[in-house]
Amino acid sequence: MSAPQQTQCKEVAALLVFYACEETSAQEKARIEKHLAGCAACASQLAEERSLHESLMEALQASEQFDSGGILLSRCRSELAEALDDLSAPPLKKHWQPLGWLRSWMAMRPVWSAAVLVLIGLGLGTQGLPWLSARLDSGSNGQTVNVSPSARFTDEQLAKMAVASMSFSPTSDSTSGNVQLHIKTEQPLVLSGSVDDPDLRRVLTYVVENGNQTEAGVRLDCLEALRARTGDADVRRALLYAARNDQNPAVRMKAMESLRDVVVDQTVRETLIDALEHDSNPGVRVEAVNLLVRSLEGGTPEAAQTPEAVLAPEPVERLLDPSMERVIQTLQDLERSDPNRYVRLRSAAALRQIGPHEVQ
Amino acid sequence: MAAADSLPNVNEQSLVAEAQAGSRVAFEELVHRYDRDVLRLALNLMKRPEDARDVYQEAFLKVFKNLHRFRFECSFYTWLYRIVTNVCLDHLRRRQARPEDQSPEPNPGHHEEGITDFFERQREHRPTLDPERQLFGKEIQARIASAMERLSPRERVVFEMKHYQGLKLRAIGDALGTTEETVKNSLFRATRKLRSQLGGLR
Repeated sequence: MSAPQQTQCKEVAALLVFYACEETSAQEKARIEKHLAGCAACASQLAEERSLHESLMEALQASEQFDSGGILLSRCRSELAEALDDLSAPPLKKHWQPLGWLRSWMAMRPVWSAAVLVLIGLGLGTQGLPWLSARLDSGSNGQTVNVSPSARFTDEQLAKMAVASMSFSPTSDSTSGNVQLHIKTEQPLVLSGSVDDPDLRRVLTYVVENGNQTEAGVRLDCLEALRARTGDADVRRALLYAARNDQNPAVRMKAMESLRDVVVDQTVRETLIDALEHDSNPGVRVEAVNLLVRSLEGGTPEAAQTPEAVLAPEPVERLLDPSMERVIQTLQDLERSDPNRYVRLRSAAALRQIGPHEVQ
Repeated sequence: MAAADSLPNVNEQSLVAEAQAGSRVAFEELVHRYDRDVLRLALNLMKRPEDARDVYQEAFLKVFKNLHRFRFECSFYTWLYRIVTNVCLDHLRRRQARPEDQSPEPNPGHHEEGITDFFERQREHRPTLDPERQLFGKEIQARIASAMERLSPRERVVFEMKHYQGLKLRAIGDALGTTEETVKNSLFRATRKLRSQLGGLR
């Protein structure tokens, strides 16, 4: 084979693939056919190319029968039509579904969802019900905070309490000293605990000392709770203040009555004398007379327990007490000039009761 | 392409225009004219009916959504095939990226009704073939399938479009968005590879 012939074979071989599938230009086709006519080797290669091509086509043509029943094509058309329906349809109004994400999450994870629901149920059962019960007990509109007795109240907090009404209900067992206060402030509070608790006692004394900020009934209940704690200086101060200054005579009288066990105390006695002289309510003045007589009679077991009682002088020495003279003087004034007849009578009786001491 | 060649362009153009104007009927008429060829191409390329269905659906939905972009600069058929071949190429490339997903033969247990092994069907349609020939044919089919898998996605698409769909290299280039020369190179390489794999068949 000559060199030009070899070059021609090489060129034609590269084109045989396209010649076999009729992808050559007319010029190329003419050149190839001319060469093939005189080159047995290339003609053989073309035959091989066509043979291979035929083999491939024989195998591949089988796919023409792939869907003789048209089932796949029919299914494809239906699926496409459905997809087109979805595309053409106006978007559905999306209904608002609260916690939709949670619902879909739970739908996909049934086991986890069950576990979460059980935990939520446990939580509600152990925590939610007591909380709900406490909230209902408070009887208030807002959220109720149960404050433990150890909480410390600032003056500002107490002042804020003053603008709200307060109810007080002692427990059924009044001797236990346990009380429960429902305080309606910006955030409703329920205070419960012993009167001996410093904070709770502070609230009680605050209520008693700030009579214009709570209802009289509440103050009376507070006095009732505090009456057994008159040994405490703060409690006594609050009671004395209420006895002198509370606008409600019943509260003033109750405050005095609460002080009966410590009437030998000089400050208490002065408060009583002051009430005799200045209190406008005859009932209060009578109560003051009673308590003064009691103080002058002395010797009560309760009084003996107070520090003042320990230092209390003997009856003869008691006559030397300057306040005693003032008490007698005041009683005499009342007997003569009190506008209320009962007060005058009670004063006279009192003077008679303490008279023997005075004679001695 | 018998379907494309047999249809007068004017009808096709009016159908496309109607479909562009929003006519669902016109669009479905266009689909029905060409979808046999589309499904056949997809089946030959993907070898699995479920993949072919995916290609069919994805390709025609792309056509539907992008029909307004068609400017009649080429035939609708060429434009359609460009989309179909690109979808096929995407699927083939994704399949290549997943080695576990490369088996071209459908699982016999998952054959869809009516879409069983078309080689088997071919044998049934040729009752004159003797058993020896059938056995030989099965071996050829297996080797061809294996050889086709060794082609790159583009080589495979070019080979199929040329030899099975009967498209001209220029049309294939249009469909693939490349030059006729590139398509020619792909076809040459594909043929050479197949020949080396299947050289002993004859």
